[in-house]
This record gives sequence, C-alpha cells and structure tokens, in this order.
Amino acid sequence: MLAIREFQRGLGRFSAIVSALGLLVFLVLILGALADGLFYGATGAVRSTSATAYAFDDEAEGSLVRSRLTEVDVAILAQAPGVEQAGPVGVLLTGGEGPQGTLSLSVFGIDMGSAGTPTTLVEGRLPDPGESGVVAADERLTDEGVVLGSTIAVGDVTAEVVGLVADASYQLQPSVWTSVATWRAMRDAVRPELRGQPDGINAVALVTTPGASLSEIAAAAPGITVLSAEATGLAIPGVEQQSSTLNSIIYTTLAVAALVVALFFALLVLEKRELFAALKALGASTSRLGGGVIVQAAVASVLGVVLGTVVARLFGLVIPPQVPTLFRTDTLVTIAVFTVVAGIVGAVFSLRRIARIDPATAIGGVL
Amino acid sequence: MNEDPVVQATGAVPDGTGPSPAADALSHAGALLQVRDVRKVYGEGHTEVVAVSDATMAVDEGEFVALLGPSGSGKTTLISIIGGLLSATSGTVRIGDVEVTGMSRRDLTRFRAERVGFVFQSANLVPFLTARENLLYVAGLVKTPRAAAKSRADQLLEELGLIGRAGNLPEQLSGGERQRVAIGRALMNDPDLVLVDEPTAALDTAMGRQVVELLRREIKARGKTGIMVTHDLRMVEYTDRVFEILDGELTHVEEPSTLGH
Repeated sequence: MLAIREFQRGLGRFSAIVSALGLLVFLVLILGALADGLFYGATGAVRSTSATAYAFDDEAEGSLVRSRLTEVDVAILAQAPGVEQAGPVGVLLTGGEGPQGTLSLSVFGIDMGSAGTPTTLVEGRLPDPGESGVVAADERLTDEGVVLGSTIAVGDVTAEVVGLVADASYQLQPSVWTSVATWRAMRDAVRPELRGQPDGINAVALVTTPGASLSEIAAAAPGITVLSAEATGLAIPGVEQQSSTLNSIIYTTLAVAALVVALFFALLVLEKRELFAALKALGASTSRLGGGVIVQAAVASVLGVVLGTVVARLFGLVIPPQVPTLFRTDTLVTIAVFTVVAGIVGAVFSLRRIARIDPATAIGGVL
Repeated sequence: MNEDPVVQATGAVPDGTGPSPAADALSHAGALLQVRDVRKVYGEGHTEVVAVSDATMAVDEGEFVALLGPSGSGKTTLISIIGGLLSATSGTVRIGDVEVTGMSRRDLTRFRAERVGFVFQSANLVPFLTARENLLYVAGLVKTPRAAAKSRADQLLEELGLIGRAGNLPEQLSGGERQRVAIGRALMNDPDLVLVDEPTAALDTAMGRQVVELLRREIKARGKTGIMVTHDLRMVEYTDRVFEILDGELTHVEEPSTLGH
C-alpha cells in the first residue's frame, strides 16, 4: 500500500526516474534494432535456405565470396558421411539494372531443389531445377520497383523475376536466386577476369544428418573447411564484430540503467530516513520497507520500458530506409527483462541502507 | 490563537486519580510496566557516559504518567529502552507478562507493532498517505482484516474530531491535527502501552494543551497505560504522576505542585 500510494501521489518525482529509464530503454532498443538490422541484413542468405552447413576452401576463412571450389567438390562432398544433400553455391556481389534504375545485388547461383534452396518464398515460385533466365528476388527489391514479371539485368544478361523470398539479404545487399548457369553468365558478363572457369563455384551448401560431425565431412574432401550455417553467418566480414560492439554498448547502457535506479532510490531512502525510522519504531520491518522500494523500482522499470518502447517505435518510423533496422519482438522482450532486472538490482543496493536505519532515532529528534 | 475550548470546558485540573501513594511508586508487583535497575552506558573507559543509571519504576494499567527532564537528562534513552527501540546495558523492562529486554530485534519489531503505540515529537505521519490511510498502515503491520481496520480507523478519527479530514494528506492538516492523527495511529492496534515523545514540541501552547488533553482522555477512556516524555512543566498537570530524570538519575516526584519554577 505504502509503495504504490507514494508512487501515485508523487508522480512528479517518479516521473523523473521513469523518464530517465525510458530514455535509456529507447537508446537500447534503437541500438538493438540497428544490431538486428545489420545482423539479419548481412546473414539472411545463409539463414533462409535449406542448408545446415557450408563447405569452403581452406583459405576462404568462411567467406562465401572469397572461397573458390569446383563442381567436382560437390560430388565428393555428396558422398561424405553425414551429408544428405550437397549443392553448388555461386555468389556474385554486383550492380544491376531494375525497373527503376541501378540495383545493388548479391546473385546466388544454386541447383534449385538441392541444398541451399531458399525456404522463405513469399510470392510467386522458385525457378525450376535447371531453368535458366529466371530468378527469385529478395522482397527488399520491391522498394526498388521490382515485382513479379520484372526484368533484372546484370551486364548484358537478363532474367525475369518469378518469385519473391523474405529475409534473404547478403552483406546488406538484396539477393536474387537463380540457376548456376545464369549466375555464371552474369559473373562472366561483369567479371571478365573469371571467364574460362566453366565449373567454378564459390562454395558447397550441405544438408547434413542430425548430429553429423562437420570435421569428418571436411576430412572427406582435402583442402576443404566446413562450417555450420550459423557459423557461416558469423564469418561474414564484420558481422561478429558489429554484433559484439553493439551488444557491448547495449549491456553497458543497461548497467548504467541499474546505476541510475540505484542512485535514485539511494537518494529517496536518504530523504525518507526519518520517516523510515518512525515506521520501524511503529513496527514496520526492514523487509517490508525494502519490499516497497523493490516494488517501486519494478514499477518504474516497467513504465520506463513502456515509455522507451513507444518512443523507439515512433522513432523507427522516421529512420531512413537506407539504415538497416529491425525491431524484433524477442529483442524487445530480452531488453525489457534485462531493464526490469537492472532496476531491481539497482534498488537492492538501498536495502542495506534501510536495514541500517535505527528506529531509536525516531525518538528524541530536535530536543 | 484563542484559549483552547476543551481546556476551558473541563477546567485546568485534569480528572483521574492524581499521584499514587508513594510507597509502591517505584516498584510493585502487578504493575503493567515494570522497569527494574535499568542502566544504559555509552562508550567505554574514559569516554564512558552513563545515560541512565539504575532506573526503577512501575506504572499501573490505566495510568498516564509524565517523564520530566531537561535536554540530555536521559529521558529519551529511558523511553527508548521501555519501547524496545534501544537495548539496556543491564536491568529489565517488563510490559505485562513480556520481558522486553530479552527479546530479539525481530521479535521486538512485532512486539512494538502489536503492544506499543508511539506518538513522536513531530507527528511523523507518512506524507503521501491520507489521515485514514496512516491509521490503516499500522493496522496492516499486524494483519488486521481490512474491514475491521477501516471501521476502527473511522471510529478513532471520529473521536479525535478528524472524521471530516480523513481523506486529507498530512500537508493539508494543521500541526495540531497532524498530532491528533498520530494519537489515532498510536491507538490503532489497541496497544497496552502508549509512549509519547514531547508531543507539544512543534505546537503553540494552546494547541499543545488541546493535544495533551485529548491524549489523556483517549488513554483514560481505553484503560491504556501512557508515558509522556516532556520538558514542559505546563503539561504535567494532565498526568497522574510524575517521574523526573536528571543526569540519568530517575526519581519519583511526590508532589508535582512543587515542581513550579
């Protein structure tokens, strides 16, 4: 009763802590949205396919674009223990032409239906196995005017869009998915130095059996490294560094939130020392008074989360589309839980202070 | 401010039994409060200060007594020991059948909530609770059922002439009204003993008299035992007996009328 009434009747004072927490939550949510935007934008193409692992050459350090393999490797890996399916992957980061002008693209050449086929079709169809001159495009390209039936050109090679796939960007560039033949034609058109490699691909997508050992698979093919799809995402240049940098900022900000709450309630307890002494004299226990402070901290944190979320979502509406942001519910839930925990941890520091208040000081006072 | 109407109506001499026979004033069996050889020493060695020196007193059920003494005399220390707020260096305090001096801190907290009422110098009400909620808060400390607590709070506020102010916050009340709410709070849990610390310190004389008069009436009407710490001789007339404490030495004053200065 005490704690909640104080909150209700002292809204002015508590609005200070709620606003401070709200601003911190806002900051953390925007950072979280940027982190998610970068991560999902960079790794969509390796997360949104049927592949559970990727094989690279040993020098590629897990980078699809740096790796150089041939279709012979696909056949070798298909026979490796624990491999259900193996499919070629060709990757080309390039510019192209769309209905409204130039596009930044990542072109993926795969064997449709084999390992590495996109699993996030949202409209139309995927190209049929062996079908050339058609692509499934990243739905982000609809911002550039691409619709089903549009033509996309890379160099002098054109392809018709027959389907749209979601969450399929690679290194923040929207992807198009086509046959190995069409991909190779596009590669040769814009990278003349790579012509004359008729069976060259970048990597091999694998569907492995549950529990299969990736190192055993790699051992079956000399000079080849195998990484899980998740590790492949993290091996994309910059992804892991961006994630860890932004996460460090996020967790530091949450620690600051705990500190802000701790200071606020330390001051509040200091201010109420005389009142708490009187209440202790009247028979209120330290745990009852401390419990009230914890309840207040929890309520302030929850209100701060609500405020920060509303402001962050409104702010999200004005973030330009070029800035990759993604507001994910599970990130919000994580941040909300961490904020409330940080708030409560901050308030716990006041408990010792409350415990030290001597009820005997309620008597005597000024005289 | 005008002369207090309550005091005018009842006359300056309080009702009650007046000073008890001297023979059993300091110690007698069957008293509600028995303080025996209580000593409180602060510090050690050269810095040792005796705040209360072997105090012995007994107060019967239904008595309202004064504990008179100047600043630094030890009266605050003694009342704190009696109320279970401070531990004695030696000696015993019994309230009814309970020995206060032997209790743990946790038990003392519950004991104070259930059996002792306090009225502090500067009311010390919870500033963000209304008058009624201030009373209900202490009822919550002893888990009184909500409905029973509410009717008791309203009854007390009615008696104290505050029922019209029940929904007001302390900042909306006068000093005298705040102190009356504090009296209600002290009586809320039906304690055996009511300890009152300089209730008039923050009030002018007329208001002070009104508050102490009311305090006496409430304590007497309920058959409670009250001890009022004061340095104000004018308030002594409302009490049944007077104990005086000077430099930690407690004495029972046989003739309060001789205290005039």
